[in-house]
Amino acid sequence: MTDRGLFRSAGFRFGAIYALLLGLSATALALFLWWATAGLLDRQTEEAINADAQGLSERWAEGGLPALIVTIEDRLAQNVDDDAIYFLADRAMHRVAGNLERWPPNVNTAGGLYELQVMRAGIKSLANVQRFDLPGGFHLLIGRDVQVRAQLRGLLTDALLWAILVVGLMATIGALVVRNLFRRTLANISATTSAIASGDLAKRVRLTGRGDEFDQVAEVINDMLERITRLMDGVRQVSNAIAHDLRTPITRARTRLEDAAIHAQTPDDLRAAIERATVDLDGIVGVFQALLRISEIEAGTRRSAFARVDIAPMLIEIEELYGLLAEEQGISLAVVAAPEVPAYGDKALIHQAIANLVDNAVKFSPPGGTVRVTASTRGKVDITVTDEGPGIPASERARATERFYRGESARSTPGSGLGLSLVAAVANLHGGELRLEDNNPGLRAILVLPNPEDPDPRAAALQAKHDFI
Amino acid sequence: MSPVRVILIVCLALAPCVWFVTAGRQVAAQQTGDNDTMQVTSDTPEYCQYLHTRVDSQVHLASTPPPREVTDLSAEGERMCEHGQTRGGIMRLRRALWLLMHEDGGATLER
Repeated sequence: MTDRGLFRSAGFRFGAIYALLLGLSATALALFLWWATAGLLDRQTEEAINADAQGLSERWAEGGLPALIVTIEDRLAQNVDDDAIYFLADRAMHRVAGNLERWPPNVNTAGGLYELQVMRAGIKSLANVQRFDLPGGFHLLIGRDVQVRAQLRGLLTDALLWAILVVGLMATIGALVVRNLFRRTLANISATTSAIASGDLAKRVRLTGRGDEFDQVAEVINDMLERITRLMDGVRQVSNAIAHDLRTPITRARTRLEDAAIHAQTPDDLRAAIERATVDLDGIVGVFQALLRISEIEAGTRRSAFARVDIAPMLIEIEELYGLLAEEQGISLAVVAAPEVPAYGDKALIHQAIANLVDNAVKFSPPGGTVRVTASTRGKVDITVTDEGPGIPASERARATERFYRGESARSTPGSGLGLSLVAAVANLHGGELRLEDNNPGLRAILVLPNPEDPDPRAAALQAKHDFI
Repeated sequence: MSPVRVILIVCLALAPCVWFVTAGRQVAAQQTGDNDTMQVTSDTPEYCQYLHTRVDSQVHLASTPPPREVTDLSAEGERMCEHGQTRGGIMRLRRALWLLMHEDGGATLER
């Protein structure tokens, strides 16, 4: 990575943020320590000077100038700490009492602390002094020798500065470690997604086993890749199925028309051939329409039309629609449902799904058999269609809802293999499911829809958005 | 940029700064001229003698003999001042005077 690219790197930014936070924290701690130690020393000096000034002002108030002079000399004589500095000056700034040789020329204002270089028995030292102006034109200087404290403060300051340097170094090393950790972790994901982008869909992101956030991202990516692989396999399968299953009716229609063109003797023969070809082509159109419908359902765009619906009238319509067909085939069609079966969804899609199940049941029921349709609302809405036909073996039930899939027992009956795919797509769209069970004999198909009082959250959110718009 | 290079750059950048700051403060402290320096007059042999005189006066004024510590401190302080160890001698004389003043019920020398 180039130096310019380095600054754009997320790993570098993480490392820099770590270094900055560590540096700021360490600096804040150092400043606090400095304030608590060196700052305390300064504050103690100021408090001592103020306390001294308070005492001396009381002596001035009690006994005037003579008392003040005596007190200053007594305090100097008993200054066991050897740090007191006093200077009492008259109006002309001449010495009246104290242990300084003269008034410091730079101490002009009362109130603030001044730093003063002093000579003590030939050795330089440092003092903090404060000026106090007294009545009568007298001026008082009170101070403390802070050389030892200044040395201590200097030691502390130097130590903290070097400590900040060490922290800076540690922060840099830490930032580099963080950056490398970050890059190593992302390199795995990056390499995998690059391989996938190049076409190797079998690649998966490696999990570290720690269960941390990076492993969670890796799991999500792997799940996504699995789904993409399944979808691509599905598309491939559908394309193959379309090519295979539609080629036959198209070929048949073409053959019939070709045969009619060569061998038709009369206009009636020609018309009959055209009508048969039209029927074949209508079947093909129907298959494409069903495919498109399934795609539309799976895309979820129909969720915006969800509303409260009543299943009961749909069952009555379907009974009327398929009752005659069933009777012609000697099959008994029975519908059992409450007067009202509330649900939440797309009325047309639910109607078509139930119709597909009943159509399959009637198609596969033997003469004398019974097709039963029931609807119940125990928590969820269950619409059950049972028949007494060959059923679907347990080994084939998982694939029964795939597009164009036709089981062994269905190969002799007409159909495109899209009916159950559409029902399953409708069930998924509504947040429900299609269950296929053994009716012993026959098949029991159960279309499960969510409780209308607690519909699919996705559908509810989309409906709310639709209402808002 | 390799990690080693980054660390070296940081060290080379920070270390001189810290050294300059710490050394600079020491140089600044040494560069103060003598003209700005005030002489403290309570660190002289004369002041030492003054303190010794006060201690003796206080001892004579006291109603009871002084504690052994006071006499020892006074003698030691005088000896140190005679030998040029002025500040040490002054500290001991101050200590002796302080003990005397507080031993005596805090009596202040009124003049």
